[in-house]
Amino acid sequence: MINYAVQRFIQAIIAIVGVLTIVFVVMHLSGDPTLLLVPQDASAEMIAELRSQLGFDRPIYVQYLDYIYGLTHLDFGMSVVQRVPALDIVASRLPYTIQLAAGALLVAIGVGIPAGIIMATMRGSVIERILTAIVVTGQSVPTFLSGILLIFVFGVTLRWLPTSGAGELSAMIMPSIALGALSMSTFARMTRIAIIDELSKDYVRAGRARGLSLGQVVFRHVLRNASIPVITIAALEIGNLLAGAVIIETVFAWPGIGQLAIQSIQSRDFLVVQVIVLLISFVYVLTSVLADLVYVFVDPRIRLVR
Amino acid sequence: MNTAASPLLSVDNLTVEIGGANVVDGVSFDVAPGKVMALVGESGCGKSLTSYALLGLLPDAARRTAGTVRLQDRDLTALSERQLRKARGKEISIIFQEPSASLDPLTTVGAQIAAAYQTHNNVSRSEAYDRARQMLADVGIPDPDRRLHQYPFELSGGMCQRIMISIALICSPQVLVADEPTTALDVTIQAQILDLMKKLVADRGTSIVIITHDMGVVADIADDVAVMYAGRIAEIAPVQSLFDDPKHPYTALLLASVPKLHHAPKTDLATIEGRVPTLSEFGAGCRFADRCPLATEKCRIEQPPLFDCGGGHRSACWHIDRMPEIRKVAA
Ligand SMILES: Nc1ncnc2c1ncn2[C@@H]1O[C@H](COP(=O)(O)OP(=O)(O)O)[C@@H](O)[C@H]1O
Ligand code: SF4
Ligand SMILES: [Mg+2]
Repeated sequence: MINYAVQRFIQAIIAIVGVLTIVFVVMHLSGDPTLLLVPQDASAEMIAELRSQLGFDRPIYVQYLDYIYGLTHLDFGMSVVQRVPALDIVASRLPYTIQLAAGALLVAIGVGIPAGIIMATMRGSVIERILTAIVVTGQSVPTFLSGILLIFVFGVTLRWLPTSGAGELSAMIMPSIALGALSMSTFARMTRIAIIDELSKDYVRAGRARGLSLGQVVFRHVLRNASIPVITIAALEIGNLLAGAVIIETVFAWPGIGQLAIQSIQSRDFLVVQVIVLLISFVYVLTSVLADLVYVFVDPRIRLVR
Repeated sequence: MNTAASPLLSVDNLTVEIGGANVVDGVSFDVAPGKVMALVGESGCGKSLTSYALLGLLPDAARRTAGTVRLQDRDLTALSERQLRKARGKEISIIFQEPSASLDPLTTVGAQIAAAYQTHNNVSRSEAYDRARQMLADVGIPDPDRRLHQYPFELSGGMCQRIMISIALICSPQVLVADEPTTALDVTIQAQILDLMKKLVADRGTSIVIITHDMGVVADIADDVAVMYAGRIAEIAPVQSLFDDPKHPYTALLLASVPKLHHAPKTDLATIEGRVPTLSEFGAGCRFADRCPLATEKCRIEQPPLFDCGGGHRSACWHIDRMPEIRKVAA
């Protein structure tokens, strides 16, 4: 059990160092990262000055160690556009994205898991067919398109909801749905499969044999067993939501890190982009570690054996 | 059967259909109080479906199309699902072939046994746990207090089957149905579980319907035995009468393939030449005709009814009088 936690922690650190290294390598792939950081019309002197200012004229391994050292002190460099620490820029936008991701996760889990449960336990019913149609739609319409469709129907045509900006709760509804739709479908499908898989197991028949109804067996035993694969999905989906935010925030003019990422790429503010990439990667790693810790509580086979 | 007492469980003309074929076809048998009835037959002959049908637990693909299951004076097949739930576990229980798979892997065995008691008895959690502890002692599990807090994966197959028996018997049902309860276990554990079941019959007077493909198990535990072939009862008799004087060619060949009755190792029944017909091959006549050394034209055309041979011994064969020929073939 302790071993298991330590092992997972070490794996997480290795994953994070891997991501940092990849980002570093990508930044230096073009040879001279200074060129990535300056405006296109910069003079040769400006470039040279910035190069030595940022230390890009030093040997590559010195730069790498310096980069890692900086990161361990939360020093992600200065935005060359705004002349403030890149981290501060990202931090100021992060609350919006957290809000949006939370809304989307609420849609994804709040709709997806009950839908999956109903689809697995009421096979052949009308409600199952309706839900299947919704899930298939959610999973096949690309995120940007569902965003635009929502804006067109509820924002422009019906005028029920604001089409852009952040602030009121009502402004969150459409972007949350658009961002959560794909995850919702994933949760519904995975929950359905996990439950159907559990329903075929002997302990379900055994539960009914001692006088429980199928519904009682589902609530007392099946859901908990079926949650194990769904937890894995939940961990991945949180990272996926942040990545999906890049598109949705642009469609809805939502001032989070997704929109910031696009703006920074356009203005060649790569140190800001780097912070965002690292942040999203970090969230992937963190959620997967959290999922593994949740298993420990759900599954005694992990808790007691490893 | 061999007792004058009125039967506790009486199964009459039980018929189960899957995809248009009768995979259980007109099965009838009685079990007297405190007696053990064995259903024996090759894999796929419809034993499990028969056992599920007794509790109304058939899988979705299967449907009971005829027959009754009377427990004392009640016909279980006439009950609503709601009434059946009250009977399951309380009046009639079942245990299955894979004991470890029959338990929820995420719940302690104590919680599962206690919950089984609480399903039918309005008692507190701690009372239910007391009963569970008592029950574990009754099925011969040492150190019940520790076991109660263990999870199924921490227990051996034999231990899990004892837990399943505890769950099945905690509400003191009159009938225990056991579908191949020892098939998944090693031989020594198998003997222990059978001993435990015999003891339960003796102590509590529970009737048992045990399903097996092993004649050794039949010899060890059963009072009466029904031999099934392709969904039908081929022969049914008190166990001694069946072993001493089989009246059906299939039974005779089965017994000939078992080396020694009381020390029989696990014996697979599928040692008779040929194979069981598949559902689509079920014809109008005797389903054993393709493999039977005594088969005649009549056998292929007309289904033999169960003929009464006296002493509770019945056989579904047109040529019972020619059985001595079989004994020669088998010898
Ligand atoms: N759920 C099911 N769906 C379709 N066919 C089944 C199902 N369960 C059993 N059968 C078929 O019914 C027949 C009898 O099965 P079963 O009662 O399990 O046999 P046994 O327990 O004697 O081995 C077999 O031919 C089997 O293939
Ligand atoms: S009825 Fe005919 S085929 Fe069937 S067991 Fe008897 S002799 Fe064999
Ligand atoms: Mg079976």
